[in-house]
Amino acid sequence: MTDLLRRLMRTPQGAIGLILLAVLAAACLFGPWLAPHDPEKMDFLGRFRPLGAQNWFGADQFGRDVLSRLLVGARSTLPMALAATLLGTVAGAVVGTASAYLGGRWDEAIMRTIDAVMAVPGLLLALLLVSTLGNGAGNAMIAIAVTFAPGMARVTRAVALTVRGQDYVKSATVRGERASWIIFREMLPNVMAPVVIEATIRVSFAVMLFATLSFLGLGAQPPASEWGLMVAEARQYVHQAPWILIAPSLAIAMTAIAFNLLGDGLRDAMNPRDER
Amino acid sequence: MSASWLLRRLALILYTVFIVSVLVFGITQALPADAAVTLLGENATAEALNAIRERLGLGDPIWWQYLRWVGHAATGDFGLSMRTGQPVGPEMLTALGRSLLLAVAAILVMLVIAVPLGMVAAVRQGKLADMATGLISYLGVSFPEFVTATLLAMLLADTLQWLPATGYVSPLEDFGGAVRHLALPVLTASLILVAHVARMVRSETLDVLHSDYIRAARLKGLPERTVLVRHALRNALLPVVTIVALDVGYLLGGIIVIEEIFAIPGIGRQLMVAVTARDLPSIQAGALIMSATYAVANTLADVAYAVLDKRIRYD
Amino acid sequence: MSSVTRRLFLSGTAAGLGALSALGLGPFNLLGASPAFAQQSAPRRGGVLRISVDQAASVIHPLRTRVNPEYLVAELLYSGLTRLAAGMQVEPDLAESWAPDQTLTEWTFVLRQGLTFHDGSPCTAADVVATFTAILDPKTASPGRTNVGPIKEVTAKDERTVLFRLTSPYADLPVALAYTNARIVPAKVIETDLDSLSRSAVGTGPFKLVSFEPDRKIVVERNPAYYDPARPHLDRVEVLVYPDRTAEASALISGDIDLMLGTAPGEYQRLEKASGVKALRVPSGQFLNVNMGCDQKPFSDPRVRKALALAIDREAMVGFVAGGYGTPGNDTPISPAYRFHREQPLRKPDLVQAKKLLAEAGYPNGVDLTMIASDKPGTRTELAVAIREMAKPAGFRIQVQTMPHATYLDQVWKKGNFYVGFYNMQATADAVFSLLYTSDAAWNETRWNNKDFDALVAEARTKTDETERAALYAKAQQLMHDEVPSVIPVFFDLLAARRDYVEGYELHPRGSVFRLDFVSLGAAAPKRS
Repeated sequence: MTDLLRRLMRTPQGAIGLILLAVLAAACLFGPWLAPHDPEKMDFLGRFRPLGAQNWFGADQFGRDVLSRLLVGARSTLPMALAATLLGTVAGAVVGTASAYLGGRWDEAIMRTIDAVMAVPGLLLALLLVSTLGNGAGNAMIAIAVTFAPGMARVTRAVALTVRGQDYVKSATVRGERASWIIFREMLPNVMAPVVIEATIRVSFAVMLFATLSFLGLGAQPPASEWGLMVAEARQYVHQAPWILIAPSLAIAMTAIAFNLLGDGLRDAMNPRDER
Repeated sequence: MSASWLLRRLALILYTVFIVSVLVFGITQALPADAAVTLLGENATAEALNAIRERLGLGDPIWWQYLRWVGHAATGDFGLSMRTGQPVGPEMLTALGRSLLLAVAAILVMLVIAVPLGMVAAVRQGKLADMATGLISYLGVSFPEFVTATLLAMLLADTLQWLPATGYVSPLEDFGGAVRHLALPVLTASLILVAHVARMVRSETLDVLHSDYIRAARLKGLPERTVLVRHALRNALLPVVTIVALDVGYLLGGIIVIEEIFAIPGIGRQLMVAVTARDLPSIQAGALIMSATYAVANTLADVAYAVLDKRIRYD
Repeated sequence: MSSVTRRLFLSGTAAGLGALSALGLGPFNLLGASPAFAQQSAPRRGGVLRISVDQAASVIHPLRTRVNPEYLVAELLYSGLTRLAAGMQVEPDLAESWAPDQTLTEWTFVLRQGLTFHDGSPCTAADVVATFTAILDPKTASPGRTNVGPIKEVTAKDERTVLFRLTSPYADLPVALAYTNARIVPAKVIETDLDSLSRSAVGTGPFKLVSFEPDRKIVVERNPAYYDPARPHLDRVEVLVYPDRTAEASALISGDIDLMLGTAPGEYQRLEKASGVKALRVPSGQFLNVNMGCDQKPFSDPRVRKALALAIDREAMVGFVAGGYGTPGNDTPISPAYRFHREQPLRKPDLVQAKKLLAEAGYPNGVDLTMIASDKPGTRTELAVAIREMAKPAGFRIQVQTMPHATYLDQVWKKGNFYVGFYNMQATADAVFSLLYTSDAAWNETRWNNKDFDALVAEARTKTDETERAALYAKAQQLMHDEVPSVIPVFFDLLAARRDYVEGYELHPRGSVFRLDFVSLGAAAPKRS
């Protein structure tokens, strides 16, 4: 693990990604303590106060401190994206591995159905699911997980198919082990590495998707300072105070960049020979 | 590519549409608050609600509603919109046309930018141009559409006033106006694609440049430009076909946000409106048409790939 | 009462306005502006007006319209018996005169001569009877059913005379009949296929429908057979849908559109500065309120309601949710823009008193509540968030829950215990009271059910004397102010804008009245075919 980390730090992408992530993690863990102001404290005289000593990133339509809202908002943005990815990855990995293990007609049926579900554009599926489950951060997370699962199943299956041909799986089958034992104990652990890389890059999609759902009014709800929601609320004040729009936009982009870089760094670190 | 392969692909499209129809119908049935409520707004009395539900046939058993819907949909009849009372099918197809216009324009713009960008980056691997391309790629894939769209509109429409911020003008009515109105949405949609495809082109070109085949061409003494354009480009473009097909799926999702922000009455925006209004026939038709479009685009890409592949391999 | 009858009898516009003053509905001008039709020079005839709306006009069925863009389209295509003038006074539309009997329970309306529908067929008393019968039929699902007055029965006396019999005396009937859904449609359409009006239009209005694309564009053209040969001045009106406020304002500034129905405070500031643009603003009775279920804990105790009212800084609220373009509210729906508004010192925030009231009501450690706000319009959420913060120090721990408007209408509206409401200005004090706050109100959200209040509102309906009515409504407002069935902290000014060359348009405080038949284009207007 430390070896991987060292190799990761040696790639420029990995290094920058890790640094950005450290900043984000700090915001998630210590955001409320780092925030210079109460993120919900209104200040009538400070409405739309521009960037300055009093509010480093300016103040919003209620005179709330934008920096404080961003710092505290990291908590309602990042963990949700991570949880959605984790949930979707686990579900997809289980289905994909099972499909590869079962093989034949089952594999065919499962994969074709997954293809069919993937024909529904991700955002549309998430949109329909959230509308059904009801608006809210938790439901948006579930919807994103469901949207991610088919893609992860596909990736996992491709890897699992190669694993399935390996001797240790064959011997387990010969030993007469139960299917669930083989899938969970023999195959899943061995497909993990590529799946983790894929999942890391997906986190950036999850961050964007979650922010998009909040932007459309379906994800996190006011007065939460989720970043996508902050962008949505700021849009109507763009002429008075562009900073309340730009700050959360950049925060979202920075998070997505961090996970993209980390994913690429991981890929390089895990396949040292590939120089691209 | 054989007849049986094509048949299989067609069967898959049908299977896809079937699964999607079940999925979409199931979801729409579970939606809280029905169209009768949104239709009446704050004047919904129990009697009025019943009157409307009766008129819309919302009282029948679900499986019967599903069969009736699929049966009618197969003939192109998706019913009447609960919101406007207009037939849903034609409305959605018109909207789809506008969305496809946007999508195709975005893909063209993307190709014009992304392919040269990726090739240059590959040829100048490790140089400044490569790093710049890398940076653009990272930025491109890391800005969600709603952020790109909002920032672009803020800059180009509101501050500089170069382009209209929203609205749709049919190219048949006013071509110049249509181009101006489409500029911002197309730019937004193509940005993420550029990032995606430029990376892909770069890595494929690198692969090809390192292949024995190109080495052989160089040994033959062909000029570098010929090597690049005649051989490397054509081989590197092949996988791009696949990624473009995949990106159509992304695009169809992305246009929901883009059309919403730029107020283009395409299928994405119609779907958003339908979801907000709980207009079930419109949601069903829109989601089904959108998914079918994606499935067809995918199949077309596969066919194109098969065709191109044969030519290139025996070039 | 006989003198009242004589005074109430109207014939023609001038006499009408005079009589209206007698009814306490006389003309008043909020900004001292001149009436829409009093222009310096004669309005130019011809031209195409492009007007923008912020949401789709998806329903053009005149009996079923629900939102301002739909009201606009219906008003272009159809006429009512009466209509509201710029200062909220009632004036003749299809009816040229009307009069009540002595008990105010029977009203006679006389139609203009020679009225025709767009298809050329005559418009007679039978059409009026059929229309109102359809509106009152629950099966029609017309929002106007509960807003057109206590009508028991409508009959035709002859070709041009209609008789309304009421269940109780109602001095405001001519105003109520100007309601947005009370548009006259042909009897034969009602008999054969009423739903066809969702797709086509047969009215008597100043314009005829040319094309209808709900989410994009609606086009109407001049009705040459309109009852007033001088109007409309415009050849054509194009209604364009701009779902984005910023883009809509940009389009007006760049001259793509000539007139906008409404805008947001942030955009208004930009429009004020733009050249070639005239920003429009009028104080209104449009308000946001916090409804409290007065029949359930903790709001069954008036002290809790009053404590919440005392926690709110209303002047700051005008800044927060109305961007400064509004009037602070005093927990009654009667804003200064209403005829019978009662002057009263503004309720100032008093956290000490609020805490004390809450403790007396049995909540010395504060109270936990969930306030629901639908996502449309966005100001509902802003109000909820602001109230949450303002009420925090008084001991209210409020969770704000937002939800899609559809879910809200289905699950919370009229059922919820604590939520944010949003209403347009109504034509009269009676209309808003009996829509929202009397025990038998159509939308009795608060379940306040105060018998004294009911009695005051009912009595005012039977009075035609202005001072008497004013006294009764003042008492009613005092009662609401004391008991706080709902917190009404802010009234919105209506904001809009037009190009300089658009003449004869006045922003109407009601929010759902537009009078585009009085609008004309000046010489500087761009030529459009």
